[in-house]
Amino acid sequence: MNILAILARRLLHIAATVVLVALLIFVLMHFLPGDPVMMLLGDRASDEQIANMRHRLGFDRSVVEQFWEFLKMTASLQFGESVSMKVPVISLIVDRLPITLMLTSMAVVLAVLIAAPLAFIAALRQGGIADAIIRVISQVSLSMPVFYIGLILLITLAAGLRWFPVGGIGENFFQNLYYLFLPALTLALSLSAILLRNLREALIEVLQADYVSFATAKGLMRHTVLGRHVLRNAWISTITLLGLHVGSLVGGAVITETVFAIPGVGRLMIDSIFARDYAVVQGLTMILAVMVSIVFLAVDALQALLDPRVSA
Amino acid sequence: MKHRTIGLLSSALALALATSTFLTAPAHAAQRGGTLVFARVADNIFLDPAHTAQNADIWISLNLYDTLLIATADGKATEPGLATDTKVAPDGKTLTFTMRPNIKFADGSPILVSDVKWSLDRARGKDTGDEFAFLLASIDSIDTQGADTVTLHMKHADPTILQALATFNAGIMSEKLVMAAPGANLAEKSKAFAEHPIGSGPFVLTSWKRNAELVMSRNPYYWKIAPDGKPLPYLDAVKFVNIPDDATRVLKLKAGEVDAVEFVPYSRAAELKADPKLNMVLFPAAQINYFAMNTRPTLKDGSKNPLNDVRVRQALNYATDKEAIIQVVSYGTGTPQQSFMPMSTPLAVGNGPLYPYDITKAKKLLADAGYPKGFEVTCMVLAGSADDTAKVASLQQMWADVGVTLKAEQLESATRLARYAASDYQMRTGLWTNDINDPNEITSVIAYYPTRQSARTGWQSKRVDELFEMSQEELDPAKRAAEYAEIQKIYAEAAPIIFTMEVPYPVAMLKKVKDFQQIPLGNNIFLNTYLDK
Amino acid sequence: MSAVQEVAPREAAIAMAPGKRAPLKLGSSTLVGAVILLLFIACAAFPDAIAPYAPNKFDYRATLRPPSWAHPFGTDNFGRDVLSRTIWAARIDLQIAVFCTLFPAIFGTFVGCLIGYTGGAIDSVFRRIVDVVITIPFLVLVIAIVAVLGPGLTNMYIAVSAVNWIVYARLIRGEIIAQKRRDYAAAGQVMGYSASRILFRHLLPNALSPIVVYWMTDMALAILLGSSLGYLGLGAQPPTSEWGVLIGDAKNFMTTAWWMSIFPGIAIVIAGTGFSLLGDGLARLVRRR
Repeated sequence: MNILAILARRLLHIAATVVLVALLIFVLMHFLPGDPVMMLLGDRASDEQIANMRHRLGFDRSVVEQFWEFLKMTASLQFGESVSMKVPVISLIVDRLPITLMLTSMAVVLAVLIAAPLAFIAALRQGGIADAIIRVISQVSLSMPVFYIGLILLITLAAGLRWFPVGGIGENFFQNLYYLFLPALTLALSLSAILLRNLREALIEVLQADYVSFATAKGLMRHTVLGRHVLRNAWISTITLLGLHVGSLVGGAVITETVFAIPGVGRLMIDSIFARDYAVVQGLTMILAVMVSIVFLAVDALQALLDPRVSA
Repeated sequence: MKHRTIGLLSSALALALATSTFLTAPAHAAQRGGTLVFARVADNIFLDPAHTAQNADIWISLNLYDTLLIATADGKATEPGLATDTKVAPDGKTLTFTMRPNIKFADGSPILVSDVKWSLDRARGKDTGDEFAFLLASIDSIDTQGADTVTLHMKHADPTILQALATFNAGIMSEKLVMAAPGANLAEKSKAFAEHPIGSGPFVLTSWKRNAELVMSRNPYYWKIAPDGKPLPYLDAVKFVNIPDDATRVLKLKAGEVDAVEFVPYSRAAELKADPKLNMVLFPAAQINYFAMNTRPTLKDGSKNPLNDVRVRQALNYATDKEAIIQVVSYGTGTPQQSFMPMSTPLAVGNGPLYPYDITKAKKLLADAGYPKGFEVTCMVLAGSADDTAKVASLQQMWADVGVTLKAEQLESATRLARYAASDYQMRTGLWTNDINDPNEITSVIAYYPTRQSARTGWQSKRVDELFEMSQEELDPAKRAAEYAEIQKIYAEAAPIIFTMEVPYPVAMLKKVKDFQQIPLGNNIFLNTYLDK
Repeated sequence: MSAVQEVAPREAAIAMAPGKRAPLKLGSSTLVGAVILLLFIACAAFPDAIAPYAPNKFDYRATLRPPSWAHPFGTDNFGRDVLSRTIWAARIDLQIAVFCTLFPAIFGTFVGCLIGYTGGAIDSVFRRIVDVVITIPFLVLVIAIVAVLGPGLTNMYIAVSAVNWIVYARLIRGEIIAQKRRDYAAAGQVMGYSASRILFRHLLPNALSPIVVYWMTDMALAILLGSSLGYLGLGAQPPTSEWGVLIGDAKNFMTTAWWMSIFPGIAIVIAGTGFSLLGDGLARLVRRR
């Protein structure tokens, strides 16, 4: 099969998945016992006002009609209008998505930057004190909930030492690098612990593998061996793992954005679920599903690129 | 025709008040310029006075849209706003306003009498108005004379009309600018306009990122002159940042990243008060905390409801130690309720706390009602709300002393509201804030049955309904006061709620922030605010 | 199906990461893990015997007291003893660890066996479900379901179970398929054993060990998830003592009363470590066999 055909099949596959995701989320949101209209109008609304608003928003139509409407809107990337914020959902997503993307990308970069060197040290000094310390630290950060890591960093480094701002975002890209550093570090810590463990094992395995011993025997310098063989293998397993964890990364972003008051899609999601803002939750979930699918696709492609043995 | 001049009277009072503030104000004068960063809990939704319904919008609306009249600081009277003079005919059926000369919208275009008529007609219209259109419902028609006179013809005398004209709902908009916005009809144009509104208030919106930040800048054409002879406001801009998390909001203030924060948790008021860099202010609020009871004979599930018996409701009121709740929930910042309405409401009658804690009386009333061993009652609680949890936990302990077992039912906001709307509850935690300086809003919702079965308690007093209807057209202040006094008395005796406490608005600011004001209705007033550099 | 999706599910990598290759001592670390868990189980079983105070007893005269002999972990804003609340919370959090994973483990194993053994159309349907579920972040999906049902522990268990069984089913499906290719399954078929006998007597026992190992890790993850939901106000509801709820309650006092949040936080870390160490030990044991 040629590459294009494979790609086309994968894209179709993604499209099918996304429609199913849409259905799932739609069904879920319409089971909600609460009512967005009540959330909007609050305690003061009269029954007549409630009925009027329900009609205006189309909530009095049949579920099938509403789903059809939703699919039509989605196909045109419209996602309708936010009930609680009275703006098109797409404009909210366009506003917020870059922030979350920046946060998660920074987290991934930080996680790799933290994990890679530590993994090398631990693997090369396997069984030593450095190894033990590194493993204990990674165990602890693995066992800490994201919100707790965030709160501790917030209290110590931001509120206490004033090295970083206490939540929020900056005015431009460069300010955001600074504002999003702590939240990204929060997200990165548990991810780096996972990467570290995996990378350490992978490195140990490779170091003990025959071809490395063989290469060393051939008289190749140790660091050349590490560079050529070990690094490539390490990359492959790291990328695979990152792909696997993209979901928990987004989940972590939801919590981190809540703790650090970052106006990204994660907090938008939580706010919208609580406000029963169907349109926003549906739109966001669709976008996230598409993005996660794209990440999966990219990871597969990278794997194929790095490791000729893996083919689609 | 003989006119009663209310405007003059109230403006004299306002002048007196204003003078006294100046006398007590610090010696150094206000400084101009700078941006105030104000951290809020929730973002705005819709910046159109006629369609404003949420607190976040209500509370800043007056900064963007000026009104004909402005409520005085104590909320009991009005003073001139865009109109310099107000004449009310003796029968209360004609109101004549003289407009201030040379007033302009934030884009420099003049505010015309036609804009006033258009704005008020739109706000009160059945199709063009919204949730608060009822405030202006007594207006029959509006016409204009010449370049500076607006006349309101009333369907009937309305004792609240002057205050209604001072609320956000009566904000003056530019007909030309709204109609110039894109859209096929008025609704679409209004919506487009509300994204980038240009109004008549002291500030004008300059940027808005939803649920993140909103900036409003100084309106250079604002009419009000500061003591330094130049126009108000002093600030170049106010930047609102949206930080829903209480702890983070306070941390940002302590780190100096924001200049002021609203809704400081009461638990931290004392700590922030002690901070030398901060100014922690508890603004008196027209806000009450209470527990509402379903007074219907049976509950939604068909079971018998002990709260139907007035003696039981009175007993539970006596069994509630208000001072303890004030300590636990508001850390001593609150005050016990003396009426169903906040004491800052005009015509509120307070004769000391209602139902002072008295366990013997409570036990006797319960025994009389046939519940000597108590009973079980369930209260809806907002999930995750520390305040609700603390309130209900204290009630649980207090009521256990009279044998009543209180069970908390944790529900998140949407479900809780839906259950409330369906009257499918036994007890719930309640919170009310006035939006207008008049007792009629809270009374119509909480005590007047036809609006919504007295806030869905199902309690009805024909006499209260009758009194309320009379008071709505009563021009004689003494008679109206008497009517409201009777309503409050009947309500207090029937006790459809557990009278609990009034709580203030806790706002913390850096010391450099001066003369910020939050009025009892909640409105944030930045008109006189300045930064001391 | 893509390479990524074929790899063991969510976080399974943690459990699957092999331990040291070195000669196997079941190891002091496994022992530490077991001791930790036993301690927490003791707290969960007899909180009233261990905790010095009742967890929800208010004491308005002793609010926000720092750690002292009377209150080793200090008191909170209602004067409740933080040590007692942390101990009582062990009961809820261990309950979360078990209830969020038990049904998924059993049901997922059962379904995974069937799918792995039968293959065909059911397998395609299952893979479609998996595709959908893994594209929605786990936490987002659970939060959405909890929002449907309303916050609270029971609803949290339902929400997590509704999603989590898929992880187990995927894991066991992969194992069964791998085992099926092995000789003894074929041998069984040749000998004319019934399908259920092959599946439950031969395939399942061999496929079960990775499940048990993952289950340990999953219990640690469940505590993290449960406390996160508690913190967001969607899990255990105040005044119930749960570590996440305790930290959530302490949020406003992080700078003034650090003891309110530090001790429950440490409890979470230690409990998580206990499960992980035990899981690692089991993983090594399995690998060695």
